[in-house]
Amino acid sequence: MDKIMTLLEGFGLNTAIFFCTLLGALPLGLAIMFCTRSSNKIIATIFRGIVWVVRGTPLMLQLIAVFYLPSLIFEWAMPRTVAAIVAFIINYACYFSEIFRGGLDAIPVGQYEAGQVLGLTRTQVFFKVILMQVVKRIVAPMGNEIITLIKDTSLANIIAVPELIMVSKRFLAKGILWPFFSTAIFFLVFTGITTLVLNRCEKKLNYYKL
Amino acid sequence: MKKILALVFALAMICMSMAACSTGSDAEYIEGKGSMIIGITYFEPMNYLENGELTGFETEFATAVCEILGVTPQFQEIVWDTKEIELKSKTIDCIWNGMTITADRQKAMSISDPYMNNKQVLVVKAENVGKWTDAASFKDVKIVAEAESAGESTIKTDALFAQAKYTAVDSMKTAIFEVFSGTADACVVDFVTSIGMIGEGTDYANLAVDPAFSFAPEQYGIAFRKGSDFTAKVNAAIDQLIANGTLKTLAEKYKLGDQLVTD
Repeated sequence: MDKIMTLLEGFGLNTAIFFCTLLGALPLGLAIMFCTRSSNKIIATIFRGIVWVVRGTPLMLQLIAVFYLPSLIFEWAMPRTVAAIVAFIINYACYFSEIFRGGLDAIPVGQYEAGQVLGLTRTQVFFKVILMQVVKRIVAPMGNEIITLIKDTSLANIIAVPELIMVSKRFLAKGILWPFFSTAIFFLVFTGITTLVLNRCEKKLNYYKL
Repeated sequence: MKKILALVFALAMICMSMAACSTGSDAEYIEGKGSMIIGITYFEPMNYLENGELTGFETEFATAVCEILGVTPQFQEIVWDTKEIELKSKTIDCIWNGMTITADRQKAMSISDPYMNNKQVLVVKAENVGKWTDAASFKDVKIVAEAESAGESTIKTDALFAQAKYTAVDSMKTAIFEVFSGTADACVVDFVTSIGMIGEGTDYANLAVDPAFSFAPEQYGIAFRKGSDFTAKVNAAIDQLIANGTLKTLAEKYKLGDQLVTD
């Protein structure tokens, strides 16, 4: 029983990393998306470069870099869990920004033109006409990323964050096997619930069917 | 473009000057903050959790040394593969976890006097104890060990295993699990590690150490940052614990009495 409690405690960290990452990466992703589409060429190039680096290197390496590099250079380290969350936010924001960009690009130019003809301002067109259509289009790919994120949280054990996989391995070192394999159940239940929530979102957004 | 370049260089200079800023010796650094962060991984009988409390031979040993030195021990779980980075980046102050002294490690870190002997042993299914005796009988036997471990170098250099089929795995835990699940016939692991992992009370009750073999005697030491002057202080404290018998009592408590370095 106390073994299950230990595992649950570990999984609490996974869920904390998950929600913090979503909370941080969604707005940051939107900001990065606008920067990569910026009419200022320098800003656009810099941010496209950042997206390239972040999407082009293993998340495991990014975790190690975010935690150890500040400490190696400035002798200042974030707490381990915070470092993990920061790395996850940066990584996922870059992926999200590309999904947002795809969603926005998919809206026909005709709608902006129609809005203008009807006398709406650019902001009005974006918030009243475009935004919800974009949201509807990106729910499926975002769902995909969100489910990947749930499982990716276990990567935090590379910087010794005592999340589920890390604590279950402690039992492995004691020669007890079942806690390690039972971790699958935790992830399955969490992805199951998330899938249900995402399905409901999709249904509700069917209102904006094109 | 020039402005950006100038900015990048300026930032780089600031970074470098800040890195160079760290002054004072390692002992002053550790004593100054009043606590020593001890890097560990959980394994019986060295450092492990019992009813949520950290205990073990190394845990008690380190606590006793810290008491003599007047610093508070602070145990931090680490990932073994990145222990050198942890030490260098000062996220930990020492590695105190049944670490084998090797020439490479002595070059990279400052290591204490050896305090415990260890060896590599052959772990097999209990019914297979005594099944393999010489190089010919080990022909095509599937054998595993942790990559880059003393077990691996034993397998690669000992003529006994010349004809065996060797696979490197990521950890001793995996090596033992491979033997348990039957994907390997035998593994060469650290003796002290095997104490807490196999036999009675574990899922590996059907595994045993083959008493016919013992390889690569080695010694344990505590690792500090390269060039640290704290190592000497810890050595002195260890000598004190040996002289007053504390270390022997501790070792016997964890069934490691025979493993202590005696001279």
